[in-house]
Amino acid sequence: MEKEFLEHGLTFNRRRFLSTMSLGLGSVALGSLMIPNLLNGGEVDEAGFVPGIPHFAPKAKRVIYLFQNGAPSQFETFDYKPKLCEMVGQELPPSVRGMQRLTGMTANQASFPLAASFVDFKQYGQSGAWVSDLMPYTSKIVDDLCIVKSMYTEAINHDPALTFFQTGSQQGNRPSMGAWLSYGLGNENKNLPDFTVLLSRGIGNGQGVYSKLWSNGFLDSIHQGVQFSKGEDPVLYLRDPEGMDRAARREMLDNLSELNQLSYSEFGDPEIAAKVKQYEMAYRMQTAVPEVMDLSKEPDDIVKLYGPDCLVPGTYAANCLLARKLSENGVRFVQLYHQGWDQHGNLPFEITSQAKDVDQASAALVTDLKQRGLLDETLVIWGGEFGRTSYSQGKLTADNYGRDHHPRCFTIWMAGGGIKPGMVYGDTDEVGYNVSRNPVHVHDFQATVLHLLGLNHEKLIFKHLGRRYRLTDVSGKVVRDIIS
Amino acid sequence: MNKKFKDIAEQALIVSTIFILFLLLFESKLVVPVWLQPVGRMHPLFLHFPIVLLLLALGMEFFRFNPANTANTFYRIFLTNFWLIGALSAAVTVIMGIFLSKETGYEGETLPWHKWTGIAVFFLAAIGYWCRTMTWYQAPVAKGLALVTTLCVVLAGHYGSVLTHGDNFITGPILKSAPVPLEEAIVFNDVIQPIFEQKCVSCHNPDKLKGELMLTDAKSILKGGKTGKLFVAGQPEISLLLQRIHLPSEDKKHMPPIGKSQLNPQEIALLSLWIKAKADFTKKVIDLPLNDSLRLIASTFLSPVEREEETFDFAAADEETIQKLTTEFRSIAPLARESPALAVNFFNKTAFTTEKIKELKEIKEQVVFLNLAKMPVKDGDISQITAFENLQKLDLNFTDITGKGLKELTSLKQLKNLSISGTKVTAKDLLAVVPNFKSLNTIVVWNTGLTIEEIRQLQKAHPRIRFIEGFKDDGKNPIKLNPPQVKNKSTVFNEPVLVQLAHPVKGVQIRFTTDGTEPDSIKSALFTNQTVIKASTNIRAKAYKEGWFGSDEVAFDFFKRTYVPDSVRLLLPLNRVHQAEGAKSFFDEKLGTFNANSPAWANNWAGVRNNDLALMAEFKKPILLSSVELRIMEETETGIFPPEAIEVWGGNSPDQLKKIAVIKPSIPTKHRTHLLQAVGGKFKPQTVSYLKIVAKPLSKMPEWHGGKGKPALLLVDEMFFN
Repeated sequence: MEKEFLEHGLTFNRRRFLSTMSLGLGSVALGSLMIPNLLNGGEVDEAGFVPGIPHFAPKAKRVIYLFQNGAPSQFETFDYKPKLCEMVGQELPPSVRGMQRLTGMTANQASFPLAASFVDFKQYGQSGAWVSDLMPYTSKIVDDLCIVKSMYTEAINHDPALTFFQTGSQQGNRPSMGAWLSYGLGNENKNLPDFTVLLSRGIGNGQGVYSKLWSNGFLDSIHQGVQFSKGEDPVLYLRDPEGMDRAARREMLDNLSELNQLSYSEFGDPEIAAKVKQYEMAYRMQTAVPEVMDLSKEPDDIVKLYGPDCLVPGTYAANCLLARKLSENGVRFVQLYHQGWDQHGNLPFEITSQAKDVDQASAALVTDLKQRGLLDETLVIWGGEFGRTSYSQGKLTADNYGRDHHPRCFTIWMAGGGIKPGMVYGDTDEVGYNVSRNPVHVHDFQATVLHLLGLNHEKLIFKHLGRRYRLTDVSGKVVRDIIS
Repeated sequence: MNKKFKDIAEQALIVSTIFILFLLLFESKLVVPVWLQPVGRMHPLFLHFPIVLLLLALGMEFFRFNPANTANTFYRIFLTNFWLIGALSAAVTVIMGIFLSKETGYEGETLPWHKWTGIAVFFLAAIGYWCRTMTWYQAPVAKGLALVTTLCVVLAGHYGSVLTHGDNFITGPILKSAPVPLEEAIVFNDVIQPIFEQKCVSCHNPDKLKGELMLTDAKSILKGGKTGKLFVAGQPEISLLLQRIHLPSEDKKHMPPIGKSQLNPQEIALLSLWIKAKADFTKKVIDLPLNDSLRLIASTFLSPVEREEETFDFAAADEETIQKLTTEFRSIAPLARESPALAVNFFNKTAFTTEKIKELKEIKEQVVFLNLAKMPVKDGDISQITAFENLQKLDLNFTDITGKGLKELTSLKQLKNLSISGTKVTAKDLLAVVPNFKSLNTIVVWNTGLTIEEIRQLQKAHPRIRFIEGFKDDGKNPIKLNPPQVKNKSTVFNEPVLVQLAHPVKGVQIRFTTDGTEPDSIKSALFTNQTVIKASTNIRAKAYKEGWFGSDEVAFDFFKRTYVPDSVRLLLPLNRVHQAEGAKSFFDEKLGTFNANSPAWANNWAGVRNNDLALMAEFKKPILLSSVELRIMEETETGIFPPEAIEVWGGNSPDQLKKIAVIKPSIPTKHRTHLLQAVGGKFKPQTVSYLKIVAKPLSKMPEWHGGKGKPALLLVDEMFFN
């Protein structure tokens, strides 16, 4: 045996070792030929992505997002819980909640009495979806809607939850959904921004919305949401100053653009190029915006459909009508916010008023898109940032109660744009505290929206500060069950 | 084998081991050049070599330590060489496979299984080759290695075949019959029975007959089982079948039993709807109404596979051509990456001419979506549109086309989706042309010359086409008008002012009163834009219009203000959160509103609670003052009350003021809804240059109030000196 070892040692000499190693090195070298950018960082992932063209054929081309800011209670709108009527006033069974956290607003409450909806529910349409009496118009269109009762989120307070819904992160500074879509799908109408924002408020307890919600984050600022306000100047600073005509404005812009080009060639800052594009778009918007904003030519049927408030600028109804007009004119993402849904107390009175604000116009928007043949290619989304607790915040009386924030289950609806119509997806437990079937996380929802628009949420990425960012961060699964 | 060849082969094995490790390490960054792709594509061809060679070698390895074989030199050499060549061919196959996997179309869950079992085969073979001469390598190890590697070969082969041929390739012909086309599908045979077959029949068949129930054919289904009939036609709620399905899964009687494949919600819905529709055994799916739930769900059930991405058999247009044809008012975009199909949108009708459609002839093959909504398109332009031979979706809403143009459109063989809302097309036009459209499945006809009745008739005559009628007000469900609005810039005035009331809806009548009574549609004055007021007035108004319910009442307070002080200052501080604009806020003509959503401090209301509201006003020219009023908010529920007292001090210098009047507003005696009102009073006219107003917040809230005894909040937005 010793002899063999010796022989082996002699055979496996340095020369043999080196020659074998060179073989290994050679094979690595061969392999590296096939891996571009192995040694110089690498921008391989982004290379395949052409901003402005979807990854695959989209079902929806545009989105209208009717954000119900403040978080509407699911129990008085779409999540019918007859069990709560039986158990009204009883304690929320501790086994249901377990160790789940509460907000600071009710964590110290001595008792958690279950509160039933003060308003009745009925079943509607072929789908037999349950809708409360607060939504008489929405109940008529349930066969066009997909009601998702099993949404859940991670945040427990308004601002982080809202930011999470819009940007995929609770902290802010990331691009909003509309900005991502503008980046991913590009412009349809070069005379209007890709992403517009409309605000309204009801008389219910309200929560703020901030421009960070329609921020472009680290994306090019051309993708930022443009807020359209009520009043004479829907888009600020769009009007020519007094004494300046179109021709003079054009000349000014041409000269300005030359100057900008000069500094661009010197510094190469992409923000300068974005600025030039924005000036040009603003110039075109000067004619396109007044045309879109003009509601005076809407026929009487439309006024009746949306309700007469649609002619009062700044109302939710007017914003819905405007949303239709903007979307019809090729705006990729129209974001509405209706404030006032934060019913910690005095819920019956406030939610009735809030529902009255939005019910008719939201349903009208779906009908109106449908009768123009646009619903197939427009995704409409209605919902808040989280849900509300099945127990009462504060004192539960026969006709008054409140509900605290509840991230564990809530209801939204979607319509058109490749969503299955006439469907109720997911469910919650009997006391409406947790999701019992088919949970949909906010990132799942975002992945699904992107999917409907022809974008793969895992491939719609942007590299910033050395990291590749997505709207869905590092999670999210397309909910295929609700796609037609 | 020749020693030299063997050395080369062994070195090649080392090279390929390292090469493969390297490829795996950087796989995500790997880009296979086009010229190497054919090598990858030879993977399915080459893989047969390692399978055969390795299986043979492994078989021999299994028996290698049998005494007969250890003695056999030929056996040993033959096996070693075979093993080496087998491992090498596995290496080549793996490399080829990695290249091939980089091509598109290889995704999904099977690929990783195939890949890693394949790689395992190679590494087992390679490591085995180097280890099998070691001393510890004895019969058990040899047998184990041979078995494991063989298993990997089999698995890799199996997953590979799934990749190429798809799942159930082998059993496919036995298991699946061709899918039934929707048109021919019968609800029971093609939807309901397959559910039973998949989920129930394994226990409820002639051989097993659990619970004396058989679900193999209509007759036995009708017969039911031991517990009784399966269902009551028309009443799924009380049908045994659904009761059993809906029982909690722990229940012994829950069906299918725990552990067996369960029904999904869609299947449950189908069973329930089928029973609800009287459990018919012969009805066809398409005989059900178009929007029937059973039909909708059955249709998706019959074509469960997601629609494949549509492919087009024309070539893509030149990118430069698309760039050239894209203008500010005409967007052209591919449907998706690598799709040759284009969508074209027109915007801005003033920029539109027929020429603009004509210019697109270079891409006439590629345009599949065309949006001309609101463009002044005339019948004469249709011949330009029909040039887009592959057009699938055409939007002609609110264009000037008529039935004549529509007729020409029938030459578009691919047209599936047509929108003609807001055009002058009539029922007669549509009746004539609809049968001539080859592929049409949706037509949108809202706001055209068609009545709802006519649309429904058309729908009946053409059940395959979806007619979208939209909303038309039939006057049967009037809704309430919104209240009138005031358009005056401010409702605070000095000179007589013209009242400007308005309503956004055209043709509305505004009725109003100024005497504090409730307005109605008959007796109250009709607003005609000629009302001029001189004194503070409360106007109450409602809006009316034929076909609508009258609006809620709205009240507008017009306040007369004769004197505006030249300078003002506060003598005592305001609440930290109710600062408004400081002393100026009382004369800025901005009325505060009641709005729970706008916090008072953001809303023109200045407030005090723990000290008086004390304001010093200076008039450069002495004024003759006879009344002082404060506009306040009252909301008893949140502890906002009118002031206890308002003291008016006046004089000719700030040091020599005397008390002119003390006004005591009435304090509410019970809770009432919030209220905005002016409180104050008149007194004997006095000439003053300096005026001090002291408003005292209610120091103790009344007995009936929840906050009794505590000081109330006083909120003031304007002051009026007359």
